[in-house]
Amino acid sequence: MGGSDMKLQTASSVISFSRGLEEESARFYEALAGRFSEGKDSFLGFAQENRKYTKQVEMAYYGVISDAIEGCFAFDLEEGDYALDTKLSEGAGYADALSQAVKMEEVMVRFYDVAAEQSKSLMADVPRAFMLISRKRGERLAKLKSL
Amino acid sequence: MAVLEEPIKGVPLVKNYINGEWVESKGEIKDVVNPAKCETIGKVPISTREEIDSAVKASQDAFPDWRRTTPVARARYVFRLKQLLEEHFEEVSRVQTQEHGKTIDESRGETRRGTENVEVACGIPTLQMGYNLEDIATGIDEYLIRNPLGVFGIIGPFNFPFMIPLWSAPYAVATGNCVIVKPSSEDPFSQLKIAELVEEAGFPPGVWNVVNGGRVVVTGMLEHPGIQGIAFVGSTPTAKYIYQKCGETGKRVIAQGGAKNFIVIMPDCNVNATIASLLTSFFGNTGQRCLSGANLLIVGGDSFYKSFLDRVADAVSKIVIGYGLDESVQMGPLRDVEKKKRVLGYIDSGIEAGAKLILDGRKFKIRGDYPETCFLGPSIFEKVTPDMKIAREEIFGPVMSVMRAKNLDDAIDIVNDCDFGNGHAIFTADGKSAREFQYRVVSGNIGINIGIVAPMAFFPFSGMKESFFGILHTQGKEAVRFFTESKVVIQRWF
Repeated sequence: MGGSDMKLQTASSVISFSRGLEEESARFYEALAGRFSEGKDSFLGFAQENRKYTKQVEMAYYGVISDAIEGCFAFDLEEGDYALDTKLSEGAGYADALSQAVKMEEVMVRFYDVAAEQSKSLMADVPRAFMLISRKRGERLAKLKSL
Repeated sequence: MAVLEEPIKGVPLVKNYINGEWVESKGEIKDVVNPAKCETIGKVPISTREEIDSAVKASQDAFPDWRRTTPVARARYVFRLKQLLEEHFEEVSRVQTQEHGKTIDESRGETRRGTENVEVACGIPTLQMGYNLEDIATGIDEYLIRNPLGVFGIIGPFNFPFMIPLWSAPYAVATGNCVIVKPSSEDPFSQLKIAELVEEAGFPPGVWNVVNGGRVVVTGMLEHPGIQGIAFVGSTPTAKYIYQKCGETGKRVIAQGGAKNFIVIMPDCNVNATIASLLTSFFGNTGQRCLSGANLLIVGGDSFYKSFLDRVADAVSKIVIGYGLDESVQMGPLRDVEKKKRVLGYIDSGIEAGAKLILDGRKFKIRGDYPETCFLGPSIFEKVTPDMKIAREEIFGPVMSVMRAKNLDDAIDIVNDCDFGNGHAIFTADGKSAREFQYRVVSGNIGINIGIVAPMAFFPFSGMKESFFGILHTQGKEAVRFFTESKVVIQRWF
């Protein structure tokens, strides 16, 4: 009886995990902003957006969570599938940084898409927030590729 | 997964909140125990008759001024309370988990549901409006005013220590009454926290009081001529007793009792979504709620029955059990060891009666290093018949009793044979089956593809048969009616 330690099954654990992803990604962009002046404004903007996304998800969750919805049973995600690589090597150039950011964003889009799909009939407003962030991230990916 | 920080530190003594003061009780002191860790987290008094009497006096003294406070002003006090509850949302949720054992998702859900009632009560200037008719006869007008009555007693159960008193108290005070809340002595900290926020919101002394305790406090409320009515949620025998006593003493009453909810599964249901709903319905709050699924009634042939039940059993067997402040945990402990013993007694009874235990909750694994004392895994019984004790009585624990029905008519007959009528539900993709179920099943709350039929704050929390004693219900407009008396004025000017 009982799932693996690395599984994300409860809404609370998924919300905390998404908060962690957004924060880790925000710190990555802040680090990039410190190193690459050519993308500084965009990177700082991304970091700011990440924290806005965290608030959006939390507002959706805290606003809709109730004793009658399937908060403890709405998800079945493996934490390890969404690990972010946010360590940029010392000698990495701007192009390497962008490429790493694209990979990171792709992981996050996948996380939000899967989380939204799994919880769409169970968690009301939360999957909507996930889908919105996934869409916004798609736009960010396009921007990253254009930099 | 990290365990969230516990908000209750040390072993604080719970005080009563009477007349805007924090008062130490002279009554006997009991331990409050965190059931996941079996550790004493506080002390609660069993208050005396004199203490409940002093709370009634404080409320009676506060009533005339509070009743004259305008509904708009009263709504602003309630709105400040609502703001404070939002600001302390996470803290009060963790308090519930720490003192009750439920998971953090469940506690946050409880906080949201309770706070929604405070939110609805903010609309009291509209909700409390009466109505009028000009010219009932030429030159004569008639109108109805909803007046508050005085002092109300609100008696809360252990299973939703934060939310359930809020089904009543915000409406009572918003309409101009004063309240005395008696929390469960097993988990009093949630109501203590609410009282702290009531004080911070600036409610006048005596409007909102909290008296901790047990039978003496309840009897004191029932017998006190200064109390106009009681809102109670708990077991059916106690609900019946309270209903009768209120009848004897001329008090109005809402008495919500126990349940034995059927969840009917039609072969056309959406299986994936249904199974996730069943997990919450039967095992959420460790089965300790009056809206929990208890009997799973499957309609359909052998092939559907077997494949559906196999999938349910597989999903249930994977439920993660542990301390609710661990975010990965899906089911917490029972509230105390006595409640666990009671559930174990029902498991024995099911086995003796010939039901087949296909998932034995007595064998379980806890995530984390916690004592087994109050924990119990989820159990599933197959081949349960409607006459068995496990099919008829409220177990209040994580036990699913599976039965079969030939068709929808047969299922509805079985459901209606149940003594309780609290929250029966059907899972189906067919509108006609759903409508038949809704139309014919005798139940205060009906779920259609919803496993926990918990009405929102702006709808009444209904109940029928042995699940409810009274006329008006908690929550929303019905609560406003309950906490007010209709005064009709007919006027003519010469």
